[in-house]
Amino acid sequence: MSTNKRKLLNRYHVVFLVQSTMFGTGVLSLPQRLSSLGYSQALFPLLFGVIASLSIWPMIWINSKYKNENLFRINEILLGKWIGKSINLFIVLQFTLFLAAIISSYMNLIQTTALPEQTLTIPVLFFLLLLTYIVNGGIKSVARFCIMAFFITIPMLYFLRWAIEKGEMSHLFPLFNYNGHEFFEALRKGYLSILGYEVIMFYFPYIVNQKKAYKHALVGIWISIFLCFITTLVSVIYYSEWQLENIEFTVLHLFKAGEFSFIERIDIIGITLWIFLILSTSAGYLWSAKKGLDSLRSKKKKYHVYLITIVIFAVVVMPIPLESQKKLFEGSYYVGYLLLVWPIFLSVVHILRKKQVQQ
Amino acid sequence: MNKKGRHVVLVKNLKFVRSSIGVKYQKKAQSEVGNSTKAEQFINDLKKHTSKMNDVIFKKIPTSESVVTVIYSSSLVDKITMQLMIFIPLANHLNQIHQVAEVIKTTDVNGISSKLISGQTLLYFHQSNLLLSIDTYSAPTRSITNTETESTVIGPQDAFTESLETNISLVKRRIQNPMLKNEERTIGKETNTKISILYIDNIVNHENLERLRSRIDHIDYPAYFDISVLKQLIEDNPLSPFPQYYMTVRPDTVSYYLLDGRMVVFMDNSQDALVCPTSFLEMFISIEDYYNRWTTASLLRMLRFFGFFLTIMITPMYISALTFHPEILPYELLLNLQESRSKVPFPPLFEVLFIELIIEVLREAGSRMPAKVGQTIGIVGGIVIGTAAVEAGLISNILVVLVATSALLSFLPPIFLMSNTSRFVRYIFILSAGLFGLFGQMLAFAWLITHLLRLNSLGTPFMTPVIPRKASDLMDSIVRFPIANLKEKMGISRSQKK
Repeated sequence: MSTNKRKLLNRYHVVFLVQSTMFGTGVLSLPQRLSSLGYSQALFPLLFGVIASLSIWPMIWINSKYKNENLFRINEILLGKWIGKSINLFIVLQFTLFLAAIISSYMNLIQTTALPEQTLTIPVLFFLLLLTYIVNGGIKSVARFCIMAFFITIPMLYFLRWAIEKGEMSHLFPLFNYNGHEFFEALRKGYLSILGYEVIMFYFPYIVNQKKAYKHALVGIWISIFLCFITTLVSVIYYSEWQLENIEFTVLHLFKAGEFSFIERIDIIGITLWIFLILSTSAGYLWSAKKGLDSLRSKKKKYHVYLITIVIFAVVVMPIPLESQKKLFEGSYYVGYLLLVWPIFLSVVHILRKKQVQQ
Repeated sequence: MNKKGRHVVLVKNLKFVRSSIGVKYQKKAQSEVGNSTKAEQFINDLKKHTSKMNDVIFKKIPTSESVVTVIYSSSLVDKITMQLMIFIPLANHLNQIHQVAEVIKTTDVNGISSKLISGQTLLYFHQSNLLLSIDTYSAPTRSITNTETESTVIGPQDAFTESLETNISLVKRRIQNPMLKNEERTIGKETNTKISILYIDNIVNHENLERLRSRIDHIDYPAYFDISVLKQLIEDNPLSPFPQYYMTVRPDTVSYYLLDGRMVVFMDNSQDALVCPTSFLEMFISIEDYYNRWTTASLLRMLRFFGFFLTIMITPMYISALTFHPEILPYELLLNLQESRSKVPFPPLFEVLFIELIIEVLREAGSRMPAKVGQTIGIVGGIVIGTAAVEAGLISNILVVLVATSALLSFLPPIFLMSNTSRFVRYIFILSAGLFGLFGQMLAFAWLITHLLRLNSLGTPFMTPVIPRKASDLMDSIVRFPIANLKEKMGISRSQKK
C-alpha cells in the first residue's frame, strides 16, 4: 500500500466499505439471536440502525481531530507510547481472533451444507490465500471488491420471494409484545450482528472528502440496516416462534423455501455466493490488523499480512476442543463492544488534554 | 602561296593549339587523376563496407557535369522508381537532382550505411567529391484487403496492412482534422523499427500521453518483429492473463477511439494498431455495434458480456453438480445426466479435462494446418471423434453439447486475445470446481473479480464501470443508447473536451 497517505477513497468507496464490513456473517443468524423477542423482532434492526448512527459519531469526531492518523496512531498520541502500543496490540489480537471466528463459523457452515465429505484444512487455506490477495492490493482494492460484492450478491434478495409467499403476514402484529428483560437480551446478542462500522477509524486518513464522511457512512449503515430489516421481516413472516429460537442459521433455511424448475436446492448457491460477503468483511478487518502490526513495529513490511494469516489459520485448524474454541470466539465477539465505546473514552481524553494545553 | 600558306599557318596553328590543348588536357587529366583517385578510394571504401550485402549496386554513369556513381539497395528500390527519379534526370536535367537531393558528408560512414539500408539512393559526384541522397524507398507492400480476424457484416471492410504509411493514410483520410498529430520514433537497436503515436491534440489527456511517451522511451529491448512485443513491454501488469490494451486491424475502430481521446500506436511491418488506455468492458464492444440499431447492439453486447462469464462457468457447473452437489439438480435432469454418463468410467473432472484438451488440440491444429487439409481434419476430428468417443463410453453426450457451446461462446469477444484468455481462465475454474465444487467455483470467481479490479491500463483502472466516472458512461456500456445521446466522451480517457 502507499506509504504516503494519498487520498484514495471517494464517497462510493466509503459507503460500500462501511456497508460490507457490517453485513457479512452476523446476518446469517440474526433472527435467531433476536429470538427472545419472538415475533416482535421485525422492527429491531431499525433500532440498531439508530444506535449505530449515534455511536459512529464519536469515531468520526475523534478521527477528524487527527486528520491523517488512524486509530493506532491516535492511541499512541493520546495515551503515551507504551499504553498506546499495548492497546494496539490488544486490538490486533482481537481482530485476529474475530477473523478466526468468522472464518471458522462460515467454513463449518460450508462443510455442513455444501461440502459434506471434505475436511476443512485446504478450503480454509485457499480462502486465506484469496483474502491475502485482496488485502495486498491496498484499501482501494478492498473497497472496490466490496462494491463488486454488493452488486453480485444483491440478486440473492430475489430468493426471499418464496418465503414471503409461503409465510403468514399475521405474524407481524402485535408489534411491541415483549418486556424489558427480553429487550435487553436481544439487544446484547443481536447487536453483534451489525458490528463492523468501527473499521472506519482505521481507514479514515485515506478518505478524500473527510468533512462529509459522516453522511456517507450513514448511507452505508442504513443500507445494511435495511437489508437486515428485510431479513428479519421475512423470517418473522415465514417461521414460527419455536423455529426462530432453535434454528441457528435462519437465513439459510429461508433460501430452502425456494423452488426453481431447473435447480433444486438454491440454498447451496446462496451459501456459496455468501463467500463474497464474508470476504469483504474479513478483508476490512485483515487490512486494519495489518495496519496495526505496521504501527506496532513502526515499519511497513509485506510479510505482516502473511503473519496474521498464519495465526488465523492456526487458530481455525488447531485441534482444540470445540467448547473452548466456542468460548474463545464468543469472548472476542463481546470485546468488539469495547471498541465501540473506545472512541468516547478517547474523545474525553482529547478534550482534557486540550484543556491542559490551553491552561 | 594562298592555300599552302594558310594551310601551313593552320597546321602551325593547329600544332600550337594541339600542344596547348595537350597541356590543358594534361593538366585536366592530372587533376582528374587526382580527383579520381580520391573518388576511387571512397568508392572502394564503400564497397568494402557493403561487401557482403550483394543487393547493394554500384553503377558508374558519365554525365555532363561529372562521372556519377549511383549506389542503391536493389531489394528496397523498384526499377521504375529508379528510372523516374534517378536515371532520367541524370541524363537530361541534372539541376533537378541538385534541387531535390540532400547533401551528406562523405566522412559519415554510419550515416551513409543507414541511409542505404533504409532505401535511399546515394549519388556520388567524382569530380566535386559531392555525395547526395534521394529517398527512393519503394519496396513492394500488400494492398489493402479485407480483414479476416475482425470482420463485420456491415460497415467499411478495409483493414490495415504492414506498411506504416498506408496505415496512417487510412486513418488520416477518416479524420481530416489538423489537430490529429503524429509522433514518430525509432525503437530497437537491432531492428531500428519505426513507430508512430497518433492522437488528437485538443481532445487527448496530456498526462496519459506523457505516460505513454515515457514508457516507450524507457524500454530497452533489442528487436521488435510485431507490435505485440511492444505491447507486452509497456503494459502495467505483464503477468496477468488479461490483455490491457486494445489491438485492432480496423481503421474505423481506430478513428472511433482517437476521437474519444485515446492514443494509438502503429508500428512499421505490423498489421495491428495498439489503443490505450482501455477498459474491460471495451473488450466486448465491436465497432459494428455503432452501425447496428441500438436494440440489436444492446442485445449483442449483453450476449457477448454474459457469454464470457457463461463460458467460464458452464463446464465447471457440470463438474460441481455431478461430483459434489447432485442434490442441486432436479430429478429428471439428474436421471438424464446419469443415463448419459452410465458408461463413463472416469469422474466428471477427468471427463471434462479430456474433452476440453481434445477441443484445444482441434482448435490449435486447425489454425496451423494448411487450408486444404485443415477443413477435412476439422470435420473429421470434430464429428468423428466426438461421436466415436460418446459411443465408446469415454464421455457423455450432454457434456459434448456443453463443451461445444462453451467453446463457441468463447469466440464471442471481438478481440482475439480475450478469447484466448477465456480459454485459460476456464481451466482455473474447472480445476477449482473439481477440488471444492460450487465453493471452489465461487472462490475462483472471487479471485477473477479481485484480479480484474487490480489491473491498470496505462495508469487508469481497468474495471472502470465499477464506479462510473461519468453518468454518461453508462449509456454506452452493456446497453447502448441511441447515437444521438452518445455525444460525450468516455470517462476513461479523461479528455479535455467533454
